[in-house]
Amino acid sequence: MAGGGSLGGGHKPKRGKSSKRKAKKRVGFTLDMTPLVDITFLLLTFFMFTTTMATPQVMEMSVPPEQDKEVDVKKSELMSIFVDSEQKVYWYIADEEIKETSLKEISAIALRENLKPAVKNKLITVLKISEEAPYKAAINILDQLNQAELGIKEQLDKEKDPTTGLPVKRKRKFTLATLSEPDMKKIEGMKK
Amino acid sequence: MPKVKKKRVGFVIDMTPLVDITFLLLTFFMFTAKFKSEAENEQKFMITRPKSKADTSKLPEKDLAVIKIAFQDSTKKDTSYYYEMTDEKSWNAVRTAMKYPLDKAQIKVDLEQLNDVLKQTYKVAGKTKFAIDADQDIRFKWISDAMEVLRKNKFTQFNYVTDKIQ
Repeated sequence: MAGGGSLGGGHKPKRGKSSKRKAKKRVGFTLDMTPLVDITFLLLTFFMFTTTMATPQVMEMSVPPEQDKEVDVKKSELMSIFVDSEQKVYWYIADEEIKETSLKEISAIALRENLKPAVKNKLITVLKISEEAPYKAAINILDQLNQAELGIKEQLDKEKDPTTGLPVKRKRKFTLATLSEPDMKKIEGMKK
Repeated sequence: MPKVKKKRVGFVIDMTPLVDITFLLLTFFMFTAKFKSEAENEQKFMITRPKSKADTSKLPEKDLAVIKIAFQDSTKKDTSYYYEMTDEKSWNAVRTAMKYPLDKAQIKVDLEQLNDVLKQTYKVAGKTKFAIDADQDIRFKWISDAMEVLRKNKFTQFNYVTDKIQ
């Protein structure tokens, strides 16, 4: 009885055990993920630290192909901005006196002057930078002018051409040059 | 006591969501990662680009030639022009014609050599776009000289490379 019982009991649980094991393997299947997570984190940190998110930006610039050619320009349609070797900013328009200003004000000045009815969409901006001034001085001014450009465009888009009825297209006229001797004298003259 | 021990030994957290997110981030960073170009690998100087605020466009990657102007060391005295092109084919043609070694992705030039290289570039690939990548503290003379050389070689449109203010 005891032996038979144990035998029978032994057989039955064996079958039961084997079938139970199979079920257990499927349901409670666990894989040690720790090494996987380790490596993944390692790679993740590596890529996170090596990627640079900020891609460089560009500022478009164009120069006239022929600089020797003389172009007739009305003085009243000419706005000059000078930057001297100490990064000081000066500006004047037409025959006005040269005035000292600051970098932050350039944007507002450009916007105001460009929208004056008499010279609207005709004003030529001349930016002259001293050869001794750092490159960033030029970029800063260009940046300010580009910002003013947005405002000018917005304003012009609201207006309509009286002849065609289409919105006015902005024609930007701009030159970049180095500060010449007479320009420097002009700045000197203002200081006196 | 035994109860506490059991809990510690058999303590399991479901790591699946963690692994999911980690893999997601990993793939993201792997695909966005851009490796340094050969030329950048060679260069021994650092360029601190000037910062700009206005909304400008991204640097084009095709058919681009870059004129780099940078200080050679921390003394900030000696400067030089460095020239490189992204288009392998035309860059090889330019280097072969100018007798520059082909294994150098970036060549150091002075103003006169720059003029010659640009002339050659115009012959080989007239549609090349130009970018000036200069250090923010370089004197403007260097930039205007480079611009003058570009203008002489009929490249009248180019870009200044800047960094965006965050």
